[in-house]
Amino acid sequence: MSADVQIAVAVRSGAWAQLWRSTRARWCIGIVLVYVAMALYGEAVYQWHQWHDVVPSYQHQDLDRRFEPPGRDHWLGTDALGRDVLQRLVQGARIAFRVGIITSLIAIPIGVLLGALAGYFGGKTDDVIVWLYSTFAAIPGLLFILAIAMVVGKGLLGVYLGIGLTMWVGVCRLVRAEVMKQRALPYVMAARVLGYSHARIIVRHILPNVLHIIIVAFTLRFPASVGTEVFMSFLGLGVQGEPSWGIMINNARLRLWQGVWWEMTFVTLALFLLVWAFNLLGDALRDALDPRVRSQRT
Amino acid sequence: MLRYLMRRLVQMIPTMIGVVLITFILFNLVGGSPARMVLGDKASARQLEEFDEQRGFNRPLFFGRTSPTRLYAATDFRRSAGPWTGSSGVVHHTEGFLRLTGPASVPFPLSFAPLPGHRYAWRLEVRTSGEGAALRVRDGTRELPPGASVQGWTDGVDAAGDPYRPHLDVPAGVTVDLVALTCKRAHARPWQSQWSHYLGQVLRFDFGTSHAVNRPVADLLREGISPTLLLATPILVGETVLSLVLALLCAYRRGRWLDHTVLVACVMLMSVNYLVWIVAGQYWLGYRLDLFPVWGFESWSYLLLPVLIGILHGLGPNVRFYRSIMLEEMNRDYVRTARAKGIGTAGILFRHVLKNAMIPVITNVVLSLPFLYTGSLLLETFFGIPGLGYISVNAINSSDVDVVRAVVLIGSFLYLASNLMADIAYALVDPRVRLS
Repeated sequence: MSADVQIAVAVRSGAWAQLWRSTRARWCIGIVLVYVAMALYGEAVYQWHQWHDVVPSYQHQDLDRRFEPPGRDHWLGTDALGRDVLQRLVQGARIAFRVGIITSLIAIPIGVLLGALAGYFGGKTDDVIVWLYSTFAAIPGLLFILAIAMVVGKGLLGVYLGIGLTMWVGVCRLVRAEVMKQRALPYVMAARVLGYSHARIIVRHILPNVLHIIIVAFTLRFPASVGTEVFMSFLGLGVQGEPSWGIMINNARLRLWQGVWWEMTFVTLALFLLVWAFNLLGDALRDALDPRVRSQRT
Repeated sequence: MLRYLMRRLVQMIPTMIGVVLITFILFNLVGGSPARMVLGDKASARQLEEFDEQRGFNRPLFFGRTSPTRLYAATDFRRSAGPWTGSSGVVHHTEGFLRLTGPASVPFPLSFAPLPGHRYAWRLEVRTSGEGAALRVRDGTRELPPGASVQGWTDGVDAAGDPYRPHLDVPAGVTVDLVALTCKRAHARPWQSQWSHYLGQVLRFDFGTSHAVNRPVADLLREGISPTLLLATPILVGETVLSLVLALLCAYRRGRWLDHTVLVACVMLMSVNYLVWIVAGQYWLGYRLDLFPVWGFESWSYLLLPVLIGILHGLGPNVRFYRSIMLEEMNRDYVRTARAKGIGTAGILFRHVLKNAMIPVITNVVLSLPFLYTGSLLLETFFGIPGLGYISVNAINSSDVDVVRAVVLIGSFLYLASNLMADIAYALVDPRVRLS
């Protein structure tokens, strides 16, 4: 590990300590962890039912017990087909996390790779990559996502690809700018003088120093992609036949007029809390990890 | 100024080409022909082929002499005889070939009569047991030498107007085993591709026809633009003014409770999904309190609720952005000078900081101008406002490729144009920026 990386890690660990000192950030991390647990439990339930090839409990209909308000048997009530709202809510969390994680897994590698190449090599490489991302950036976002989903077909794959293939642009732009800045620093020159290869310099030396940007980008994109998935499912372009939050909101919307408030309330609350925690966490992370912003904020 | 403008326009060309290329890749390459999606399962092969012919989908993608056709449904003879089932004189062998025993003259089973003026390329893989078997196509016959692949060409319609059908002629005592048969559309001009067709359309500003409502896309867009502008303009103006006021107030009372409250409220506003705004607004304000109509586009009162929701939704990020700009400005030297001269915080903020902060503010506003065009997809959809967003969502739901493509394309060009406008506005507002 080179000296620069050590310094970077030291700065970083200081940043983590700072983050942990903030009560608000601790709360947010707590909330996010609760959701993670919920999503993991949902995934386990889903996989168990897949494995045993039976109708999942969250799809189990009981027409005698439709529209039951929250009570002992069904903590969050039942919906129009007598299905348990809480179980469906947990499945919704599972799908939200899947979308958030998989879209990031598509977008972040593309964005980081292209951004690092463009920032490090400059010149023709930079021109081509800038051309590519400015082209993507020019296309109206939501419309582009919906168009990709339309072409790929309804379902989760369309959601993943639609969001993932548009989200990388922001990551790429940020990483490129930061790598450009890092490239001019003496430590990169020193690494060059030592005869390290470009790949090694980028991966071992520059990327650890731009990691904070990637982390912040992930935390801020996550709620955005969850929100996008929700209304794609709401519009009928997203998840099919599984309890996504968007589908639940769509179902509950029509029942709201008949006084069935619980499904709507709990789903929107779950959605709000998740996005809110991620937004706050993203802000706190940015304050802690990005020294430039930190100096500006006070 | 003019030279700067020209140079910027030239710089925009690669991005424009990029946008055209991406929409092409998305809708032609990934999406393929929408014929089946559009015409439904009951459409005949001929209808599908004519649909593709009209829209240029039956050509090679970028360059090529052949392209797929539905004239003959190629099958793997190891599985079934495919369209040959029922042809007289043809016996299907499950080892993977069709045996034709002479004497016979077997016409090819075509899905439809070849279209006028089209040329097709047939490729046969045969095993013949003797001399004399031949493929008879419109421009002559081809001998089938034992065990070879043969290509043949055929025109669509002959002079008399009868559809021409290729035949396999097998003389007596000879058997022909047909192992594989494929048919492709042949093109005389390889550059006449889907890409050139599309590029031509774009250059002529011809956006095609919507198949769902069977009208030119340009007409639809022209009708959609005014409701969209009526909805989006008040949102943009209201949002900008309100955010600026709040941001100034925050900057003025920096670190006090007002600042904190507004910031906390902003993050909360940002975290509420657009959907929730719409559903809650329609339920509480529209239905419960009966303040606003919730569906339709008949008078100005139908716009109130969507505008309100639009403003609320955009407020969070805008206030935060403008506030950070104001705070950044307040660390500048000129602010210190003004303070040293004894000007109060309010004077500094409204006289000096606001003026200097105008540059990023203008950029932000100008860059959100394309939003005026696509409007708010969701707002229009859920309040039944027949604008461009409404049209787009309907088009996406009915897989109306031409409409979606046109909306995406125009939206991107508007974005590029507003980028240019932002740069010019920059130069007009800030004398330090030189247009060179």
